[in-house]
Amino acid sequence: MSSNTPGPDPDPDPDPDSNATPCAYTDYREGEGAEDLPATGEDAAGLEADVWDAVYGIEDPEMPVSIVDLGLIYGVSVEDGTATVDMTLTYSGCPARDMLLERVEETVADVDGVEEVDLRLVWSPEWTVEMVTEQGKADLKEFGLSI
Amino acid sequence: MSATLESPADLDDEEREALETLLKRLGDDEYVLAERYTEWQVKAPTLESDLALANNAQDELGHARLWYDVLEDLGYEEHELVYEREADEWRHSTLVERPFAEGDWADAVLRHYLYDVAEDIRLDALEGSSYAKIADRVGKIRSEEEYHLEHASNWVERLANGDEGAERLQDAVDRLFPHALTLFEPCAPATGAGDASGDEDVEETIVSAGFRDATLEEMREGWLSTVVPFLDDLGLETPASELVHFDEYEFDVTEDVLPDAVGRDGSHTDAWDDLREEFTHTYRELERSEATKIMDKPE
Repeated sequence: MSSNTPGPDPDPDPDPDSNATPCAYTDYREGEGAEDLPATGEDAAGLEADVWDAVYGIEDPEMPVSIVDLGLIYGVSVEDGTATVDMTLTYSGCPARDMLLERVEETVADVDGVEEVDLRLVWSPEWTVEMVTEQGKADLKEFGLSI
Repeated sequence: MSATLESPADLDDEEREALETLLKRLGDDEYVLAERYTEWQVKAPTLESDLALANNAQDELGHARLWYDVLEDLGYEEHELVYEREADEWRHSTLVERPFAEGDWADAVLRHYLYDVAEDIRLDALEGSSYAKIADRVGKIRSEEEYHLEHASNWVERLANGDEGAERLQDAVDRLFPHALTLFEPCAPATGAGDASGDEDVEETIVSAGFRDATLEEMREGWLSTVVPFLDDLGLETPASELVHFDEYEFDVTEDVLPDAVGRDGSHTDAWDDLREEFTHTYRELERSEATKIMDKPE
C-alpha cells in the first residue's frame, strides 16, 4: 500500500469508549454498599440538621466535592449539647487526615447550640465508591472523574 | 467469634499486655517496612514499579497508624511510639529492617512477597478478633493489601524468568528466608524483654483472649505451604524445600535456622540502629515533642 492511498474513512462519529479495554492487572469489582449509607442527614431535624448543613460545606481537600457527598460522614447525633460525628476516610494512608478531622471538629463546634464535639474516626464499614451520593458523582464528573 | 471487647476497660492486666504486644508487632512491622520501601523512591527500575512501591509504602504507613491508633486507647501516643521509643522496645520482625544492597531490586521484590503472604494470613486470623477495634480495621487493610500481594508475586515470577534475575532471587531467598521466619516468633511483652517463657505466655493470651484466632505455628504452617511451593515452582530453593513431603509441612524451626536477632524479642540487627537513627534524626534535632504539626496555627 502506498502512502498516498487513502485509508478507510475515519469514523465520522468516534466513540471514545468503543476501543476501551480494562487494565489487565486490575480487578474491577463493585464495592458492597452498606445499609443506610451513604448518610446525608436528609431526615435530620433541629440541631442535628444544623450540624449536617455545616459539615456539608466542607470539601475534600483534593476535589471540589462535599465530604458528605463523598460519603465520609456515617452519622451525626446531638445530645445535651454534645455532637457525636462518625466519619471515615477513603484511604488508610490519607495524608490529609489530621487536617480534615480538625476541620470537621472546628466546623461542628461552631454550630450554635453545640458545646462539645465527639468526632469518631471509624473504618467499618470500609469506604468504597458506592458511598458517593448522586450529587457527589455529578460533582466529580464535572471535575473530570467518572465513577 | 464476634467482637465483644470494646475497650481496655473490658480487659484484665494479662489481656491488656497481650493486646499491647500484638498491636506493637502489627504496627511496627508495617512502619519499618514502609521506611525501607521509601528508599526505592526515584530508584526503582521502572516508573511504574517506582510508583507502585511508593504507594505500597504509603499504604503500610496508613496501616501502621491504624494499629497505633488502637494503642493510643491503651495510653500511648503516636509520636512517642514512632520517634521516642528505644531501639529494643520495637517488636518488628528483622525481615523488615534489613538494608538493601545498592540496586538489589530482587531483594525488595522477594521481601515484599514473603511479607505480604504472611500479612494476608495474619489478617485472616484477625478478621474475627474479639477486640472490636481490631476486627473493624481488617476489612479496610485487606482491601488495600490485595494489590500488594499481586504486585509482589508478579514481580517474583518475572525476575525468576531470567538467568540473572533468578540468581539474584536465589541470593535473596538465602539471605531473607531466616529473617522471614522471625515473623512467626513470639514477641516479648511490650513492657519487658528477655524472658522467653514470658513471651510464650503472652502469645497464649493473644489467642485465648481471641484477639487473634490462629497460633503462630498455624500461621507459619500456612505461610510455608504457600511460599515454599510457589518458590519451588520457579526453581528457587528454600531451607524448607527438602523437608517438605507432599503436603506435609514438618519444618522444624530450630535456633539454627533463625538469625541471631529475631526482632520480636527486642533484639535487632545493626541495620536497625542506623535506620532508626535516620528517621528520628530531624525530630530530635528540632527538639520536637509532637510530630504532625508543621507550625503553630496563626492567631
